[in-house]
Amino acid sequence: MKIDPTPAYRQPTIFGYRISTRTLRREAFGIFALVALTLIIIGPMMTVFLWAFAERWRQPALLPTEWGLSYWYETLARNDITSAMPMSLGLALTVTALSAIICLPAAYAFARINFPGRQGLLLSFLAVNAFPRFGLYVTIAVVFFRLGLVGTLPGVILIQLVNTLLTMIWIPTSAFQNIDRALEEAALDVGAGRLRVFFQITLPQVFPALAAALLLTFVSTFYEAQGALIIGIPGIRTMAVLMYSYINNQIVVQYGAVISLMLWLPSLVLLSFAQKFLRGNTVSSGFGV
Amino acid sequence: MPTLDLINLRKQFGSVTNPVVAVNDLNINVADGEFLCILGPSGCGKSTALRMVAGFEEPSGGDVQIDQQSIVNMPPNKRPTAMVFQKYTLWPHMKVYDNIAFGLKLRHLPKNQIDQEVQASLELVGLGKYGDRYPAQLSGGEQQRVAIARALVLKPKILLLDEPFSNLDALLRVRLREELRQIQRNLKITAVFVTHDQEEALSLADRIAVMSKGELQQLDKPATIYARPKTLFVADFIGAMNMLDGEVSGGVVKVGNQRLPAPAECVAAPAKIAIRPEDVTVTQTGEGAWHGRITQVSDLGHYRKVFVQSPDLGMLKLYLPKSVEVNDGEMITFKPTRFLIFQGPLPPFEVKL
Repeated sequence: MKIDPTPAYRQPTIFGYRISTRTLRREAFGIFALVALTLIIIGPMMTVFLWAFAERWRQPALLPTEWGLSYWYETLARNDITSAMPMSLGLALTVTALSAIICLPAAYAFARINFPGRQGLLLSFLAVNAFPRFGLYVTIAVVFFRLGLVGTLPGVILIQLVNTLLTMIWIPTSAFQNIDRALEEAALDVGAGRLRVFFQITLPQVFPALAAALLLTFVSTFYEAQGALIIGIPGIRTMAVLMYSYINNQIVVQYGAVISLMLWLPSLVLLSFAQKFLRGNTVSSGFGV
Repeated sequence: MPTLDLINLRKQFGSVTNPVVAVNDLNINVADGEFLCILGPSGCGKSTALRMVAGFEEPSGGDVQIDQQSIVNMPPNKRPTAMVFQKYTLWPHMKVYDNIAFGLKLRHLPKNQIDQEVQASLELVGLGKYGDRYPAQLSGGEQQRVAIARALVLKPKILLLDEPFSNLDALLRVRLREELRQIQRNLKITAVFVTHDQEEALSLADRIAVMSKGELQQLDKPATIYARPKTLFVADFIGAMNMLDGEVSGGVVKVGNQRLPAPAECVAAPAKIAIRPEDVTVTQTGEGAWHGRITQVSDLGHYRKVFVQSPDLGMLKLYLPKSVEVNDGEMITFKPTRFLIFQGPLPPFEVKL
């Protein structure tokens, strides 16, 4: 009898790659986690995406039965939408810029100066995130009402600034702290003045972290709805606020889906910008990855 | 001619009520073209002293002078010193070329002169073709060479080095040390080198300043430091030493059951006897011979390190030539040929037999 030197045994393949059963068993958890994560992250996004282009989507169809752009035309034709988009963008940019002006010097001080109460003050920024936001906003709204800030742009800017403090102070503070002081001393040593050392040595070191903080701040401000809703109504209507009211007041899912897709756009543009112009892993290194 | 003088230099940290004195009344003069090492255990204040010369620490008292001109009121970026740090400190976002050119650009030199000088300094440290790389693409030894080039390219009056080789592995450390010595000789630059590694100090320095707890213990040539340590600290810190308790009386110092001659100037009082492991000869039993049992023999190439358990003196360390036959567990008899007698804070008496 002829014996086959290589006994035929079926190897499992994934996308054409042969993977031994041992590897498969060892990596089973990892593969499972990857698939689960993909479903959790991509799933809802896909649903929203599909709804935005669905004319008709009834149970139990897996995909929309009729596709079209009619809800886009309808949404884009509305006055409140066309004015809310520039409002949202301008607001997010203003808040991010103001936050940078206020927080970055503060972060530098937190990192470099050991003043009394430093730890306590740093932790206090966490307080904003430790309580239910809604309660905080309502209380602030009472104060703002007396000051005549409710329904005004400055009021909304102020309330959104509060949200940015944690990100804009904590990330840059730790970035400034992580710089080796000897790098700055070496620059002083060869003759650079303090300002030049800051701009040519210190700043480039923290740039990825600062970019990450700015990006996070912009995106979170752009999506911020609670504060803008409570303080801004009725004068100020941002995209995020509109989305809330559309989802709340409309039985038709498509309006909300279209607006959320429109809300994705700026952050998508920003992220791809970051990917392209910041070398390789610098942005992720800013996030501490 | 660049000279450096530290005059009654003092630095204290901490509060007024609870000051921590890092450097106390330090007086060191460095001659033109001299290579001086400041040697001491960690926390002895040697780096603080160097950082006061560079301008990164402000003295609490005293003066730092270059060419007899005080520089203590000068900010670090105006001082004619250049420093090489322990952790390389190359700027990671700049290429090697830009790292070295940084200081030259600040001096507004013409571009082609900068190119020339950067290239020349890279050649000097043997990295002629590395200008286009980023620091992260270099090994530790290469990075430290670039740091040395960066300091030298500015033609400083005084070159300061703060434990520059202590992050490198042993072999590389020795090689870079020799290269540095060669460069320093050729350029005739005045240099101050801080280290905790006595071997490094002994092999590099024209003179060594030994520091302990913020105070200068001794400032001498390496050979003198080794042969005639002025204080017990130096005797113990530099090289290996057998430290024995003794008692001086009437021209004799009693150590265990042994008697050794003492100079007439010694006072009748307890004393520390310091014997270098190599300052012994193996002898026959007889008058004045010390004996003990060999507990450990290590072959160290051209000599042997032998531990001897003496009945009255405890464990002794001897360096013996290979011509002497020694074996674990055997008895050995020997005599000291040279020793030092320390009494209080006075400089020691040297006795040769």
